[in-house]
Amino acid sequence: MTGQFATLPGPPPRSRLRRVCVFLLVAAALLFGQGAWIYAKAFVAQVLLQRAWRLTVRGGKTVAPWPRADTWPIARLRAPRLREDVIVLAGASGRSLAFGPGHLDGSARPGEPGNCVISAHRDTQFAFLRRLEIGDVVEMETPEGDRHRYRVFERRVAHKRQVGFLENTPDPTLSLVTCYPFDAVAPGGPLRYVVRARQEGAPR
Amino acid sequence: MTHESSRRSAFRFAAFLLILWLAAQGKAQTLPDLGPPVRTDQVKSGSLLIATDRPGVFLPAPALETDVVIRVTGIVARATVRQRFANTAGDCVEGVYVFPLPESAAVDRMRLTIGERVIEAEIRERLEAKRVYEQAKSEGKKASLLEQERPNIFTASVASIGPNEEVEIEIEYQETVRYDEGKFHLRFPMVVAPRYIPGGAAVEGSPGMGWAANTDQVADAARITPAVMRPGETRANPMRLRVELEAGVKLRRLASTTHALQAAPIGDVSYAVTVAEEALAADRDFELNWEPDLGDRPKPAVFAENLDGQVYAILVVLPPDGAAVPGARLPRETIFVIDTSGSMYGPSIDQARRSLVFALDRLHPEDRFNIIEFNHVMRRLYGESRRALSETVGEAKDWVGRLQANGGTEMLPALRAALEGAAQGSEVRQVVFVTDGGVGNEEELFRYIHDHLGRSRLFTVGIGSAPNSHFMTKAAEFGRGTFTYVGSPGEVDEKMGGLFRKLESPVLTDVRVEWDDPAVEAWPEKIPDLYAGEPLLVAARLSSSAGSVRVSGERAGARWNERVPVRLSSDQRGVDRLWARRKIAALMDRMTGGANRDSVKCEVVDVALRHHLVSSFTSLVAVDLTPTLARGAVCAARAVPVHLPAGWDHGHVFGEMPQTATPARLFLLLAAALAALAVILHRPGSGGAS
Repeated sequence: MTGQFATLPGPPPRSRLRRVCVFLLVAAALLFGQGAWIYAKAFVAQVLLQRAWRLTVRGGKTVAPWPRADTWPIARLRAPRLREDVIVLAGASGRSLAFGPGHLDGSARPGEPGNCVISAHRDTQFAFLRRLEIGDVVEMETPEGDRHRYRVFERRVAHKRQVGFLENTPDPTLSLVTCYPFDAVAPGGPLRYVVRARQEGAPR
Repeated sequence: MTHESSRRSAFRFAAFLLILWLAAQGKAQTLPDLGPPVRTDQVKSGSLLIATDRPGVFLPAPALETDVVIRVTGIVARATVRQRFANTAGDCVEGVYVFPLPESAAVDRMRLTIGERVIEAEIRERLEAKRVYEQAKSEGKKASLLEQERPNIFTASVASIGPNEEVEIEIEYQETVRYDEGKFHLRFPMVVAPRYIPGGAAVEGSPGMGWAANTDQVADAARITPAVMRPGETRANPMRLRVELEAGVKLRRLASTTHALQAAPIGDVSYAVTVAEEALAADRDFELNWEPDLGDRPKPAVFAENLDGQVYAILVVLPPDGAAVPGARLPRETIFVIDTSGSMYGPSIDQARRSLVFALDRLHPEDRFNIIEFNHVMRRLYGESRRALSETVGEAKDWVGRLQANGGTEMLPALRAALEGAAQGSEVRQVVFVTDGGVGNEEELFRYIHDHLGRSRLFTVGIGSAPNSHFMTKAAEFGRGTFTYVGSPGEVDEKMGGLFRKLESPVLTDVRVEWDDPAVEAWPEKIPDLYAGEPLLVAARLSSSAGSVRVSGERAGARWNERVPVRLSSDQRGVDRLWARRKIAALMDRMTGGANRDSVKCEVVDVALRHHLVSSFTSLVAVDLTPTLARGAVCAARAVPVHLPAGWDHGHVFGEMPQTATPARLFLLLAAALAALAVILHRPGSGGAS
């Protein structure tokens, strides 16, 4: 069947095609693995962080979530209506954002007067921001065990340079920041989605 | 065969599902009430737009052109600044422009020009002037208002500019030219650099249109932070600048460290200087230097003018050079403070690093030193000052070489750290503060220096294309040191060398100025110590032009004397305003020193009104009596955005919100695409029994 091609150099085209297919599938698998790894990291980290958080609240001092971690849990953020529950890390560097929402250094601590700024990835922990609505309650629990209730009063799209949203406010305010649009495929866009909530009542 | 085909169809089905999922993910999504988001890179170049607090909504800003003519006669400079506001929008606007002037400028005149009509502005108390302006605005009349926010920041507002109309205002000021180290320096600042605004939210403060909100530490933050053009926006508010220099003496050198010049001599001792560039971008300060021929050092002189029965005089004396006085070099403790905030990013931090390395090389082994770097946090090289041995100096240079610029400008902790070590030791203690002065809480810092200076002396080194020279000059004044400006990397050696000559040579202390006239009122009241190469400048009001003045001081244990006769000169105008401006500065310093605000304000208003000067408490206002717009027409107030100073980086100054997306989805999409491609290539019949 293949005799008439025997004199041609190299493998027959069909076999070459197959090699290309195999290569494509391997590349696909690798990329798939990379993508899945990002989600897995965010998921596993939150499990470890929930554990570290319990120890933090119980022990009254910061607990590193895993050996050689350069960040630590500083608050627990919950959106009761959406049944969302995430642990917030100190610092909003790219490294800590891989594991969980990060509290912007220098912004107010939960419950303090001023603006408490928390950012997270739009495709992992803060994917739920698109479902938060005006009037929704967001809760922040501090390591001391205080629970601060915030009510969402504003949602908007901003350019990343509109850092006015990060500025301090007279009342205790919570600003949740993530990338926008939510469904963009590539990272690095110039827009941000900002949800702002104002503190309500005394901590519980 | 059946097995084969079922495997293939399962594979295709999986690929189909993947593509379907991806398609669903990529589907456009709608968010309620947000409007179409606008990306700044969609804004066409050539249109000057200002952002509002609503994303995606931009307003056209009034276009502005500035013409500056400075005429220098001897040591006095008289400048005319012409600002042309053009409304390119289809509705009427109020133009608001926040701009700098030299910190010692005595602003005494404003004219409002509408076509052929010229309206001369009047000086009023600030609130009264504002009221007059607002009244005119509400009646549809054209009006202009000039307010002083800081000694070197002013706001010009022009009301009721109709569609496609042009209105011009002309501002005039007078100042004395700075002489130092054998050279005259004329500076014209062109842009109010973004400043760091420390503090929490303010309870109350003055309304403004700036990018910062008022805080408890900077109650007028919104008035001193004009909107800044974004990267990529075209150059706007072009400037033209001309200097008419009547030096009065032959010059050895005439040059600018900041701009390329075209200078044409007019006669022997005069020059017409223009900047080579046709229309300047207002993104860096202009500096002109001229050096008199050797032997033409400024001679002791009194420039006096007779006005309304009083004589106003400016005394200029250049004490003999310190180098001529023998004096042993005493061991000293030098504290270097370096600003590593975001505004220093780029060429500025390079200049600062080079300046510091230069300074470290000038230390002697018996000296002690330390380095403090600060942005929003403060860091010290050593816990306490160490001897300047070769290994410590080497260590320090390495440390300096690694400094990076980023973050805010919390200056107070660094100042505190620099001044607190003064308790130990008794050697000469000098603090060299390298910064661009990009802060809004100057008063708070001055007060700290005033109260905590002790035996330290503070020397400021200004870096960058548009440093806050009001802060630099005043901080050095309260710190009883000097201000050195390093405009470009090429100047580091020359300027820092000059500073070190000052640090090392004996100071002229206990300077006394005694006028024959007993009714004299002279400013400054207390004469500061003088460093090598610095002239003594005193402004006085006398009852007559008779008599003379005796100047004396002490250097390295020896007394020095000079007697200068008072002489009326016909070519000096506006000496009274120079005197009044110095008096106002001295009164304002008293407030920093803790004097009662209301009584200081009373005195300042009194002087300013009498001499027609703009001050913190007085403004110039001009109103056109003919209404040009319908009464009650509401014109939107629009700020003229300003340039970011040359060499500054937008992202490092204003920051950005964090990057908050992962490439996970991109990876998955690529994976699916590759898998789909593999499936398509793997055509039916191709993978048969092999």
